[in-house]
Amino acid sequence: MTVDLYQTPLRYGDAYDELSADGVTPRPHWARLMESLRAIGPEELGRRCVRAERRIRENGITYNIYSDPLGANRPWEIDIVPFLIAADEWRVIEHGIIQRAQLLSLILEDLYGAQSLLSSGRFPAELLYANPAFLRPMVGVRVPAHSYLHMLAVDLARSPDGRWWVLSDRTQAPSGSGYALENRTIVSDVLPNVFRSSNVLRLAPFFRAQRDALTALSERSNPRIVLLTPGPHNETYFEHSYIARYLGFTLVEGADLTVRDRSVYLKTVDGLEQVDVILRRVDDSFCDPLELRSDSLLGVPGLVDAIVAGNVKVANALGSGVIETAAIMPFLPGLCRHMTGESLKLPSVATWWCGQSYALDWVLKHLDSVVLKPAFPSRGMEPVFGAKLEQAEKGKLAARLQAQPHEYVAQEQIALSNAPVWGNGHFYSRSVVLRAYVLNTGNGWTAIPGGLVRVAEAEGSVVSMQRGGHSKDAWVLWDSPVDTFSLLHPRNQPVALRRELPGVPSSVADRVFWLGRYVERAENTARITRTLISRVRRAGQEELGCLLRLHRSLKSRQSKLPKAKKRRATALEFEHELVSIISDVKRTDSLAFTLSEVSRVGNSVRERLSADMMILIGQLRTSIQIGRDTQFAEYPATLTLCLELLSAFSGMERENTTRGLGWLFMSIGRRLERAIYLTRQLREITWPLGEQDWPLLECLLEIADSSMTYRTRYYTTLQPLAVLDVLMADESNPRSLDFQLAHLADLYQRLPRRLPSDLQAMRDALALLRSFDLRTIGYTLPGDPAAAKDSEGLARLGSVLEGLERLLPSWSDNLSSRYFSHARTLPITIGL
Amino acid sequence: MIYKIIHRTTYKYKYPVSVGSHVACLKPRSLTRHRLAQSELHIEPSPATMTERVDYFGNHLSFFTIEEPHNELVVEARSQVVMEENEPLLTQSSPPWEEVVKSLPQDHSPSTVEAYQFRFESPRIRIRPEFAAYARQSFSPGRAMCEALLDLTARIHKEFRFDSKSTHVRTPIEEVFRKKRGVCQDFAHVQIACLRSLRLAARYVSGYLRTYPPPGQPRLVGADASHAWVSAYCPGIGWLDLDPTNNVVPSNGHVTIGWGRDFGDVSPLHGLILGGGAHTLKVAVDLEAL
Repeated sequence: MTVDLYQTPLRYGDAYDELSADGVTPRPHWARLMESLRAIGPEELGRRCVRAERRIRENGITYNIYSDPLGANRPWEIDIVPFLIAADEWRVIEHGIIQRAQLLSLILEDLYGAQSLLSSGRFPAELLYANPAFLRPMVGVRVPAHSYLHMLAVDLARSPDGRWWVLSDRTQAPSGSGYALENRTIVSDVLPNVFRSSNVLRLAPFFRAQRDALTALSERSNPRIVLLTPGPHNETYFEHSYIARYLGFTLVEGADLTVRDRSVYLKTVDGLEQVDVILRRVDDSFCDPLELRSDSLLGVPGLVDAIVAGNVKVANALGSGVIETAAIMPFLPGLCRHMTGESLKLPSVATWWCGQSYALDWVLKHLDSVVLKPAFPSRGMEPVFGAKLEQAEKGKLAARLQAQPHEYVAQEQIALSNAPVWGNGHFYSRSVVLRAYVLNTGNGWTAIPGGLVRVAEAEGSVVSMQRGGHSKDAWVLWDSPVDTFSLLHPRNQPVALRRELPGVPSSVADRVFWLGRYVERAENTARITRTLISRVRRAGQEELGCLLRLHRSLKSRQSKLPKAKKRRATALEFEHELVSIISDVKRTDSLAFTLSEVSRVGNSVRERLSADMMILIGQLRTSIQIGRDTQFAEYPATLTLCLELLSAFSGMERENTTRGLGWLFMSIGRRLERAIYLTRQLREITWPLGEQDWPLLECLLEIADSSMTYRTRYYTTLQPLAVLDVLMADESNPRSLDFQLAHLADLYQRLPRRLPSDLQAMRDALALLRSFDLRTIGYTLPGDPAAAKDSEGLARLGSVLEGLERLLPSWSDNLSSRYFSHARTLPITIGL
Repeated sequence: MIYKIIHRTTYKYKYPVSVGSHVACLKPRSLTRHRLAQSELHIEPSPATMTERVDYFGNHLSFFTIEEPHNELVVEARSQVVMEENEPLLTQSSPPWEEVVKSLPQDHSPSTVEAYQFRFESPRIRIRPEFAAYARQSFSPGRAMCEALLDLTARIHKEFRFDSKSTHVRTPIEEVFRKKRGVCQDFAHVQIACLRSLRLAARYVSGYLRTYPPPGQPRLVGADASHAWVSAYCPGIGWLDLDPTNNVVPSNGHVTIGWGRDFGDVSPLHGLILGGGAHTLKVAVDLEAL
């Protein structure tokens, strides 16, 4: 059998080819996969790639690239050809990385404990003392037995001779395991048959072990575990929310936590709840602005003291970043023999730490053949390839090395191995790096079978997710039966039935409340503008006046229309204003802006929303992309599409969402928002109307989607009173003001710690509204002799609505200060 | 001789602070030069929690949180320190400074390993060729360590001007060096940067200085301030204190609270507050010989 799958360069350089030793025959463990990929054929593979990409977009898998001008939330890119590792080879890697984890863990224990490695000179003091990741407050702090490292990630590369080498260690908040899990879900879905028949080691047992290990860190039987994220702007935020949801932890940001009496608490809408274990994705020194970096906005003031007091466990332990430096690599073989009595199983890539004088001399002589990096990653220096430097630059670099040699390491450039990648209808080969993960279970160590494979963007270039590039699933092809347990569907464990949900963090309640308000605001804006746009071109002067009044009910501060007092806007000006209020993202009252807020807020609470809701949010964001050449007449159709998506979202919210606190806040947001704009619109018809104002009534019915209701009751006669009855008083109409207030009060009274005064005010407002007998108002046409006295009742209704218009936002403010405010305030540093 | 010290810090906030977490480093250390006899901390409003801890450098830290809304925070540290009569170490003969540079990384004795951490950059102190060049005018080849140290101290005293208006607590050291103006904290930072740029170990010392009223005038209560100076390490001799602000070798007029890599490690009082808005700070120190 021959490999005819590669079309572009078969192999390049002397790099190791994962697929084939001779470029013709696949290695034995690749044969089955390549055979079945060939059987599937290029057309079908292409279709499956499209399916995989769609799933990635739908699941909202993203990776934020800081330097990407296109902005955050770039879709994750994945290659559907898995990376294969044979069982025997995996055993070698597994033993190597587990030994490495044990060794690094022992080194950390010594550096933060007795420091015997310093006094014996086995560990260079510079690498501790000059290292910004050395956290002095953590020295001597009791950390649960051998748990400095909860998880270690190791980047591995294969050299031309087929050996695996360690490129770097990630010791403080290793990322990527969640992406590995998501890659597995997608690739096993795209290639189900070959996955089933290949006896691939499953990932779920690893995550089960991770959950157990974190649970065991606390002495409590049912500990509260949170995942601390830097927030939605972080490059791997998707993964944080994914892991939190998968493992059942609460996703929190620093501002969600507070330290009281040397313990850590989560601020929830029910009050403070103690936190026992923190799985952190925030870098070491940012975790506590009181004792570590005072400029950090990501941490929890007092966290270090809570750790010192033993009241909270953090994984990985604070300070573990100190051994993330590549500068320790030259010392690991010696340290391994000294501390474990074994020799180091997996070598590190050749590394020279310039703090050693002979290493500095060697590096200065061989600048051309090495990559120079900062010894301490937080210095933020980009790797420098010596061979690419001009002579003058080399001189400058040499001077920097000599001035502070301990700040630099040089590493050999390794020729990375190549693996097959599928794209544009053929296979080609790309450099790969395997990120492997080891977990400390408390009783030993276990590795993710496989890991995350990262693929270089172009031939032979640097492999880094921060620079773009793909990733791959890694399959360990096992030689005995595998456990097919999945964490999402555990079979063999009895489940304790539970209904009560853990407390909702204040910040989450805040966001879902605003998600509710923004979705409703988007719908209102879309409905009003659609109604206006479909009429403005054929409207006469009188009708245009009505349309302008409706626009006024939006209370737009960024309106482009002339002030009503000055002169009346022309139809053309009004058209421009409507286009602007739909599509101008710079206006905070535009539909486009509101939808981008829906997307932003939705993404920040994605672990609380269903996958289908996230898909809708993604579609909403792009639903009104309007180009320069979009015809005015096309707008209503675009708005209708947007409204369909919004309705689908409301449907899911109503039919598919558990009635927990999150739902409660979202629904309250919705009711408040709808009540606010409804009140504004109703006020437009609480003064005497003339016949010329009739179109206003028609528009209002259309906006409230109540034209049908009206017509079945009153046929075609448009009467202000009847319209008021439908839109204000009819408690059976879900678009009426009565309905909003009744439901608002009902939802509000279900909140914990609610304000009795606000609940009473809501009920009073409803009662007041209901006390109006619309029949007695006697709406008469102007000019009628009865008009003067009859308009009195109308004016009273107007002032009631005016009062309500002030009350509604105050309820929203009170809600904010009662439930959300403490999650919003950022601490200020004083005295430093 | 016994000193009674009262160090009173007052923060006034424009809006109420709902929660404040603070760290105070206000309790003098005991060392050969002096011994702490008594110390207490009075805090208003009274803290919800209060913890004492000895930090990595051996300084006494007090952690406290205030969990009731307050517009004003008053922290008053009262201490009594017994001064011992000591011969200043600087009169001893010392090796050439280059030998000190050489022996620092090689000597694995506990005190030198401990001292070695003070020879690197720290959050507020950079190592720069211009600092090294400035220092070399005092640290000429082969010059004895103590002699060179005294000379550098005298030069900083002479060439830098005391000016409390020109800098603030966050002024970068490069700017102080360029302007040649600042306060005791800035001079200490500059001298440390000079020494570390020569690969010597130097640390920042926070403390108090006894002041004397002009002849014939009464001592003004609370007119003193907290002070800062420098300590440099010489293997075989130990730590040598130097006060560049006054060009003196600290002796029985200087009371040491603590030391660290720079001001950030021994800030007398810092914290994080929720709310508060703008604030004003007032510090009054009173050092009285009993």
